[in-house]
Amino acid sequence: MQLFKNEKGNKDYTIIVGCGRLGANLANTISDEGRNVLIIDKNKDAFRKLSPSFGGISIIGDATDFDILQEAQIDNASVVVSVTDNDNINIMVALIARDLFQIKCVISRLQDPERECVYREFGIDTICPAVLSAKEINRILAEMSTSEAVSSEVDQ
Amino acid sequence: MNTKVLLVGGRSKAQSLAISLLKNGYHVTVINETYEDCLKLAEIDKLTVINGDGTRPFVLEDACASDADIAIALTLKDEDNLVICELCKKKFHVKKTVSLLTDPKKTAFFYKMGIDSVVCATTAITGIIEQQAFVDKIATLVPIGEGRINIAEVPILGTAPVVGKKLWEINLPKQVIVGCILRGDMTMVPRGDTRILAGDMLILISSDKQEVAAIRELTGR
Repeated sequence: MQLFKNEKGNKDYTIIVGCGRLGANLANTISDEGRNVLIIDKNKDAFRKLSPSFGGISIIGDATDFDILQEAQIDNASVVVSVTDNDNINIMVALIARDLFQIKCVISRLQDPERECVYREFGIDTICPAVLSAKEINRILAEMSTSEAVSSEVDQ
Repeated sequence: MNTKVLLVGGRSKAQSLAISLLKNGYHVTVINETYEDCLKLAEIDKLTVINGDGTRPFVLEDACASDADIAIALTLKDEDNLVICELCKKKFHVKKTVSLLTDPKKTAFFYKMGIDSVVCATTAITGIIEQQAFVDKIATLVPIGEGRINIAEVPILGTAPVVGKKLWEINLPKQVIVGCILRGDMTMVPRGDTRILAGDMLILISSDKQEVAAIRELTGR
């Protein structure tokens, strides 16, 4: 049985590992866009974060377990996103998806930017909230200082 | 120069491994996340103990991971062990990495990820328990090649059904050979026409988990 039917034959099937705030948010967005999405989490209570209109599938289980990944039909997935709160689990899921199931597009969330070298070595795309936040704050600060400079120039 | 070994995680495993490695003249450094465990480990003479999460690069750096010749990951979490070994290999260029593994299904995956040696605790322990349950006190088994091959020491009692028989008369499984016979002070490499006597000690080499069948055939138990 196939979990999702592909009308056009092209694969559009995203697996999200970890139903935290980020995972649930992403799953809701993809589902709202009318695309196929499956979300895995160890804890069944985590799925409460999904919106009532969520139209994807949820699986309770350990995503580092091959049986659970088979159940999620990872072979058919076009994208695997690992966003659990544990960096090491994210690394392992990403490596399993990439090297055992040949998933081309694998994205991981990374809390500790120091571990990035492991990902870089394996060519896995990472999102690091700490780095992103720092960049954004810096950008806002830079904007503020330029606008201050401009306004002080205007005052003169 | 002394071989430097880095042990990451594990309490009792790290402890007994460290003691045994130090005794054999290795340089040993242990990384452990729990402070209490570190205090316990620090009681061992000549052992360097680092308190911290071994999956973090700066902790490995503190432990001078780049100087290590062998890194051994002993935590109970497979994902942590994988990351420890990957960091040691990729970032610190440790020559040999060894990882403990809980889930037997991931053995091939761990090897594929470039870990040099994977020890699956579950397979090893179930193997030993099986062995103890079925060949208790009949024979000593030494697993080699990750347990794919076993060398067994089988004493032949006077009551054994094979006493007085020639080797080729015994119906041993295909994957088993009698490699050696210890008879008193004498050792001999047997041939098909060698007769087995009471009191002999047979050294069996077996693959494919055939040793239990072979030992039953030889001792009748």
